[in-house]
Amino acid sequence: MEHEIKEIKKGIKFHTLNTDKFKTNLFAIFLSTKLNRENVTKNALISMLLRRGSKTMKTQEEISKKMEELYGASFDCGLDKTGDNQVLKFYIEAINDKYLPEHNENILKTVIESLLDIVFNPYIENEGFKKEYLEQEKNNVKQRIEGKIDNKARYSLERCIEEMYKDEPYGLYKFGYEEDLDKINEKDLYKYYSELINSCKIDIFLSGSLNGTIEKFIEQNENIKKLQEREPNFEIPKLPEKKEIKENVVTESMDVSQGKLVIGLNVNIDNDEEKYWTLMYNSILGGSANSKMFQNVREKAHLAYVASSSYYRFKSIIFINSGIEISNYEKALEVIKQQIEDMKKGNFTEEEIENSKKGIIAAIKTIDDEQDTGITYYFGQELSNSNVSEEDYIKKIENITKENIVDIANKVQINTIYFLKD
Amino acid sequence: MQIIENLKVKEKLYIEKLANGLTVMIIPKPGMKKKYMIWGTNYGSNDNKFIVPGEQEVTEVPNGVAHFLEHKLFEQEDGTNSLDTLTALGVNANAYTTNDHTAYLFECTDNFYEAMDELMDYVQHPYFTDENVEKEKGIIGQEIRMYDDYPDWRVYLNTLEAMYHENPIKIDITGTIETISKIDKDILYKCYNTFYHPSNMAMVISGDFKPEELLEEVKKRLVENKPCGEIKRIYPDEPEEIVKPEIVQKLEVSNPIYTIGIKDIRNEKSQNKSEIVKKQLSMEILLNLIFGRSSKLYQALYKDGIIYGEPSLDYEFGKNYAHVLITGMSSNPREVYRAFKERVEELKNNGINKDDFERLKKMIYGSYVKEYNDVQDIARMFLSDYFKGIYSFDYLEEIEGINVEYLNQVLKDVFKEDKMVLSIVENE
Repeated sequence: MEHEIKEIKKGIKFHTLNTDKFKTNLFAIFLSTKLNRENVTKNALISMLLRRGSKTMKTQEEISKKMEELYGASFDCGLDKTGDNQVLKFYIEAINDKYLPEHNENILKTVIESLLDIVFNPYIENEGFKKEYLEQEKNNVKQRIEGKIDNKARYSLERCIEEMYKDEPYGLYKFGYEEDLDKINEKDLYKYYSELINSCKIDIFLSGSLNGTIEKFIEQNENIKKLQEREPNFEIPKLPEKKEIKENVVTESMDVSQGKLVIGLNVNIDNDEEKYWTLMYNSILGGSANSKMFQNVREKAHLAYVASSSYYRFKSIIFINSGIEISNYEKALEVIKQQIEDMKKGNFTEEEIENSKKGIIAAIKTIDDEQDTGITYYFGQELSNSNVSEEDYIKKIENITKENIVDIANKVQINTIYFLKD
Repeated sequence: MQIIENLKVKEKLYIEKLANGLTVMIIPKPGMKKKYMIWGTNYGSNDNKFIVPGEQEVTEVPNGVAHFLEHKLFEQEDGTNSLDTLTALGVNANAYTTNDHTAYLFECTDNFYEAMDELMDYVQHPYFTDENVEKEKGIIGQEIRMYDDYPDWRVYLNTLEAMYHENPIKIDITGTIETISKIDKDILYKCYNTFYHPSNMAMVISGDFKPEELLEEVKKRLVENKPCGEIKRIYPDEPEEIVKPEIVQKLEVSNPIYTIGIKDIRNEKSQNKSEIVKKQLSMEILLNLIFGRSSKLYQALYKDGIIYGEPSLDYEFGKNYAHVLITGMSSNPREVYRAFKERVEELKNNGINKDDFERLKKMIYGSYVKEYNDVQDIARMFLSDYFKGIYSFDYLEEIEGINVEYLNQVLKDVFKEDKMVLSIVENE
């Protein structure tokens, strides 16, 4: 798969991933902006409001009918927190013209025009968003905020993040805060939107079977033409600040039948290269069925069904997750802490290292085999201002030694232990 | 091998039934680095009562055995665990149990044949001991507790509870902490020996392969098996009526979660392959027509702030059950239910609009084409359809033949008010 980047205007990039492997073309627009308390709720509202209608497709019904007509093109929106950025994501996935039952149709161009229209040309009345749409979407955002409690495992993770990043952008909830909603009106929000689209980082992705004319087609689109050049307002991940921390233990109660244990770890790396080492560290600690967490917490102690860890490289943190019998809290915590200690002492084998490398390298090799994974990979590079080919990525993993991993293990500190019980 | 080609998605299925009864299906994907192998048995949580081939009396086992077996099959006699061995090869291995089948699988880029060695070895060589069975009860116990905390899972199971009197579809796949406590190694061996015979199994592989060569590799790894007679599965008679119209559970959730269930009847006609496929496709079109993103009902309820986001729309069926499930979150589930029934009646009276039908038919066609992007989606789809007596390509072929009259008939046959139930999970 060839990945090409073209800067259409300063701060606006068009990425193509040209490949014949898929039945579909995937077109995506990502708007990235610095996460902050003032705008977090507004951004969440905007991501929901834009789905409601554009100047050419005035209602959600019209948009939906159009997508259905295009052989079920799927239009989706997402809202992500990536490092200290809030990212508004918009996608349309549509089948490639080659697989349409009636030939001579060109749905790709319609797809591109539709999504650009939805994101950059919203439905406006009296210099503001439509009041009715705004009120309905406030209701939806409110539900998303309240709905945080519905998945207890995810809720526990969110709470652990909040505890670790009190008064910092990363501690904010991506859907914002209920108390902000009353203060937002349709005119001010539209004004804010106009500022946002002319200051945020814009990445446009197209993955699929493409020809040379598509780039021009996008550049000449009216909605693209009217966007201004910008010094994009986004945050490149920084190396973690080293500060003395005291282990913070938080226990909360809810109506649960299983206890949810989340442990947030800081990884105090000294340079970007160590992110690859941390990836390996995490794989051995809790990244697979061969990991210390899975083997010791689940298979040996039979304390859990889920026992794993995941690495958030943008913030250089790791979360350990486990669902346990509430009365087993102390026991589970002891076993988990023992794994962290064992990693520090280098109590893991060359075989464990080799196995982890194989797993990570296999995952890197499949990036090209999944359209959305390909886009996510290259977008991650955009946001971290790096450019590592898949081959180099694999080499970096292959070269990691046991010393490198032990080095990381000794830079790991428990920040927060969060436990949700009944 | 027999080759079935589909010109719409430009894919080929290579299929062969081996002498020992095993069906092997291969869907080549040239140029893909990912390879996917899945091996399944036509045995799931529904199969709790049966007659072992060659025996006279009925065997009845505790709920949750099929799933328990899935967990334990990874155990090897030399003390190793096949999940660890596969993971060490850098492949992504897993297994799952549904109500009608159990499957073992892996996805990889390298070491395919090494992984195949391991997969085919552990599925064909069970090793259960009192000790390894006991230890699993703690792990599965936590899996059960995890599901207890998922409101979406609770609202689903409760819907089945309200629809079915006897049918084992309503049983939780994992069983309960109480039922799994009764499982021992003898029960596991008995179920293994009954249901893990090649003639009751199917294998699907997708990736960049030469099918004939790959088939030889599969054959090499099969152990000798005596032919086996027919397994007689005993399913209780299920009345056509529902159990109760409404079921409510209290859980800590932000807003009520609801499922509207409609119990459908399986009859002679519903065993015909072409009819099964047409029915499924028609149900997908109908459900989108009634409650999809562009529907009048969805638009109205969304505008009034009664629903948040679109509900999921499903039609599930198996050998002896079929039902509709519409699930979402709402500030007022009873109002959603009322409006839904009203809209159904309106459609029955006025008939289906031709434009809506043509548009949604296109949409459903596209959704089936999209399934052919990824080796995992392809392999899983062919396996699960196979156990339902279908080749997945059939969907792409049969959709042409569906017309408005057919759809109007299905609407009348399935969407009957006395077959509907409402399940709600809400706060105290």
